[in-house]
Amino acid sequence: MEEATGERRGEPGLTLGREAAAERRGRRRWQAGAALGALAVVAAVPLLSTGYLLQLATDTLTAIILAYGWNLISGFTGYLSFGQVSFYGLGAYSTALLVLHAHLPWYFAVLASGVVGAAAALLLGPFMLRLRGILFALGMLGLARILGVVFNSWGFAGASLGLSLPAELMPVRIYVATCLLALLAFACNAFFVHSGFGLDAVSLNEDEEAAAALGVPATRVKVIAFVLSAILPAMAGGLVAWNRSYMDPSSAFNSSLDLQIVVFVLFGGIGTLWGPFLGTLTLMLAGEQFGVAFPDLQLALYGVVVISTVLAFPGGLVGLANRFGWLMRPIVLAPKTLPAVVPPARPARQGAAPVLEVRDLTVRFGGLTALDGVSLSLRRGEMLGIIGANGAGKTTLFNAITGFVRPTSGEILYFGEPISRVPIFRRAQRGIARSFQIPRLLPSLTVWENVVLASRHGRQSHRAAEHAAWVLQTIGLAPMWRDPASRLTPGYQRQLEFARVLALDPELVLLDEVMAGMTREEQEAVRGVIRCLPEYGVAAVACVEHVIAAVSDLCDRMVVLDFGRKIAEGAPAAVLTDPVVVRAYLGEPL
Amino acid sequence: MNKDAPALVVEDATAGIGPLTILDGVSLELGSREVVAVLGANGAGKTTLLRTIAGLLPPRRGSIRLFGEPIEGRPAHEITRAGIGHVPSGRELFPRLSVADHLELGGRLSSPARRVELRQRMLEMFPALGQRLGQRAGTLSGGEQQMLAIARALMTDPRVLLLDEPSTGLAPKIVLSVFQTFPLLRKQGVSILLAEQSLTLGLSAADRAYVMDQGRIVLSGNAAALAEDHRVVDTYLGR
Amino acid sequence: MRRRRARRAGTARREGASEVGTLALQLLVNGILLGGLYVLVAQSLNLIFGVMGVVNLAHGSIIALAGLFTYWFSMRTGLSPLLVLPLALAGGAAAGAAGQRLLIEPVMQAGAKAGLLSLIVTFGLSYVLIELALQVFGSDFVSVPYLQSSWKLGALAFGKALVVAGAFAAVMSALLYWWLNRTYSGKALLAASQSPTGALSCGIDVARVRLIAFGIGVGLAAAAGVLVIVIMPVAPQTASDLTLLAFVIIALGGLGDYLGVAAAALLLGIAQSVAGYYLGGNAEYVLPYVLLLVVMLAGPGRFRRLG
Repeated sequence: MEEATGERRGEPGLTLGREAAAERRGRRRWQAGAALGALAVVAAVPLLSTGYLLQLATDTLTAIILAYGWNLISGFTGYLSFGQVSFYGLGAYSTALLVLHAHLPWYFAVLASGVVGAAAALLLGPFMLRLRGILFALGMLGLARILGVVFNSWGFAGASLGLSLPAELMPVRIYVATCLLALLAFACNAFFVHSGFGLDAVSLNEDEEAAAALGVPATRVKVIAFVLSAILPAMAGGLVAWNRSYMDPSSAFNSSLDLQIVVFVLFGGIGTLWGPFLGTLTLMLAGEQFGVAFPDLQLALYGVVVISTVLAFPGGLVGLANRFGWLMRPIVLAPKTLPAVVPPARPARQGAAPVLEVRDLTVRFGGLTALDGVSLSLRRGEMLGIIGANGAGKTTLFNAITGFVRPTSGEILYFGEPISRVPIFRRAQRGIARSFQIPRLLPSLTVWENVVLASRHGRQSHRAAEHAAWVLQTIGLAPMWRDPASRLTPGYQRQLEFARVLALDPELVLLDEVMAGMTREEQEAVRGVIRCLPEYGVAAVACVEHVIAAVSDLCDRMVVLDFGRKIAEGAPAAVLTDPVVVRAYLGEPL
Repeated sequence: MNKDAPALVVEDATAGIGPLTILDGVSLELGSREVVAVLGANGAGKTTLLRTIAGLLPPRRGSIRLFGEPIEGRPAHEITRAGIGHVPSGRELFPRLSVADHLELGGRLSSPARRVELRQRMLEMFPALGQRLGQRAGTLSGGEQQMLAIARALMTDPRVLLLDEPSTGLAPKIVLSVFQTFPLLRKQGVSILLAEQSLTLGLSAADRAYVMDQGRIVLSGNAAALAEDHRVVDTYLGR
Repeated sequence: MRRRRARRAGTARREGASEVGTLALQLLVNGILLGGLYVLVAQSLNLIFGVMGVVNLAHGSIIALAGLFTYWFSMRTGLSPLLVLPLALAGGAAAGAAGQRLLIEPVMQAGAKAGLLSLIVTFGLSYVLIELALQVFGSDFVSVPYLQSSWKLGALAFGKALVVAGAFAAVMSALLYWWLNRTYSGKALLAASQSPTGALSCGIDVARVRLIAFGIGVGLAAAAGVLVIVIMPVAPQTASDLTLLAFVIIALGGLGDYLGVAAAALLLGIAQSVAGYYLGGNAEYVLPYVLLLVVMLAGPGRFRRLG
């Protein structure tokens, strides 16, 4: 959530100097050392003890698995859940029932529990993930309660008494299995940190709508994240059931378990690779000591820790480490240096249909008619300017074309195909790109990640990295490609917004006031790029602009909207001297 | 308070949100009982200027004086109490409260006798509101909402009224009826700072005007002179 | 919570089984009385949620804590638990105002993430309060034995405690409604929740209004706790159930819609009373959660816009 801001600094500059390379080698050596050390500790535990210490180590690893599982959906993807314990409980019961009734060996039963968790999340995900914020959080909590009552009254599962399992005689085997699962959990999180898929997930956390406009298939990404974050607790639950040889509803669906996990992850650093591990390790061991001294105050301690973490250091332990340049998150899919420019090759689209055709489009919000029977078309190679006073319906028109608003009536054709029912992300993937009036960058991501996110989903997805590099160098953002987007000056933020449009390798470009708030020089740079758009394979451009001077000479045609209606259309010179337009735009005289 | 000082003086006001500087060293003056328009295209910084004066956005630099008394940096509700009425952009009514409630909330700052007087005056000025006293603000038409927003601000008995694009989304006839209240307000001692996108509207209603572009004031002068000045239209239309 | 369901349903079964009509009426009356209490439980959260945009997840712990304190007080002194009401209102208001300043206000400065962070802070706070309650009052379900007889009206029987608690809660909710809609300070609070900018331009000190709203919300929650303990057994663990219950009612009735929330509370009271009789304690217990999910996933759009 918050922490990521400070965390994605990376090395500044275009290329890595010798010192940076040495630093990287040093870091790798440090990481290898840490991994070896951790392995040694993990291996030493069963050699040293088979009793208390082994149990403590198993419990800690289990908590780490749960923390990593929760981190996937609530940390990276940003869907705060207070009910992941549902999957833990389902997994615990699946294992218990499979061992008792299907007589499966416990390790098969635990694997099957993972499948059960995945299936449950796959079924629930598409519905639950339509909820956002507090609704999702409490919806999941409610789900856990319902499951608790179901298992409490389900006779086959032992009702409120629960189920007893045969005792495991070699706890080391469970310890080893838990270690392996913890490694898997870590690997899942590492995948989120390093992969394009993880970038998609984080983009949903930052701004789901803007991500969709860049072609990110939001529903698919969050359901996958949800499924992964269900498999881990489900299998962990199975291991715990077998380890304790006992499972009942109140311990399987215990929501204070979720509190602990939330606290661990927040304390370590939410949405980071090392946060769940460090937070869980620290608090489990500290909590163990504290618990010996004050056996009943453990939950209160967690409450205090979570409050003070949020108030004092929202980034958690990893956020603190970042201040010293440690545990930095790598930049996703980043090359060591930007590769040389290779302009993309594009097959020209055949056919005679206009790029865009809007027929009799009407959009109503309640009683307000934002667009009233607007028709317009965009031919190949054309640039259309759309002007009009505040509230004339210009942005609504763009919203309808890109899928953000559902038209009340009318048709929208893209290369002759109706697209009114196509979801936002698919329109973006098919080459309709837009900019937002107020840039909707993904602020904690770097410039590079903002651009590569789009190029991964655009028409150059097969060579996303090269295309992103080409865009950055074309737009002139190459010098700051590793900076977080939030640190850019407003002018550069607008350029980045524009760069993301190009990164989709679009055929139709909709620009919503890209030049507002830019200096003259910045405007001139953007005008240069707009002039080149046809060379970059863009078939047509429509722009809404208040700084009319900046676009009037670029446009082939202009359309004037007033109170949701088209009141004029034609060559810029003619339109701008049309008395109807002058009156609508400058205002009625008294 | 200094009776002879101009109603409102803004000197070198600079403000912004986050890293963004939206208002860049703006200075202007509003004389007592004067109507001054701030003109400019969308995004020129008009709304930010008014919000800064009203205390909704603290200025990073510069001073704002109301009849000689510095008010910059004070909380917004105190600035309202000091005598600045603000009709914010988007009107910011309370959709589930009635028209009468709006008048009551605005009038709370005055003495009971003054409150009755102000309320009577509002109902004379905007007779349409009088017929809808019990109606929820969210169910009013756009024009009625705009009138209610102005009436609510006037109920605070301001010496300076900040009007943020009162013409937005309104039919010309209704805009006219809103602007026709200006002479009356002026007679009652209210000075008006009007932010307006519509050039002709703004210039026809004001004594003087400032033209803003990209957070700065680029032109200023007498309304009649500016109406003749082709540079104003050029800033707008880029011809 | 489950335990008291059985008790109440049992009462209804014994005394109203003579005739189907009487039974239905009895269930209805019990439901309405329970609903009257729910109104107060939900309205106090509605006030905070509506004005601050903060979902106070510690809401249920405040109710439980106040209830347990009432139990301790009346066991200790032998006095009527209702005497605790004014104390709970005042103490709750003071604690609420302090909590708002110390915990919520700093988090509200965090911009876009403020909602989520305040959620986490109150989530943590709820566990601190629950643990505190466990330490002081133990983990047993307790209830104040108060007015245990019934008033008989024909074939109907009204548990006195339920009537008194429901009536007190209804009166306090009505007072809250009156205050919000008929007094200047109440309207100022509504105004600040509907448009902070508009409120500032009326000279309303929005920061102070928020403090007051939080204080009153917590005070009323504490008062609700005093009344809850009289009619149903409460333990520290009940806290999160109470929070969710209040949230479900708000989701059903509409955020900031005080009449809608009152109607939803009564409906839920009746639905629980009926479900408890016909389907048993478990059904009564999960009903709010099932309703929550159904309403959020399939209900009309306005229910889905709360988050």
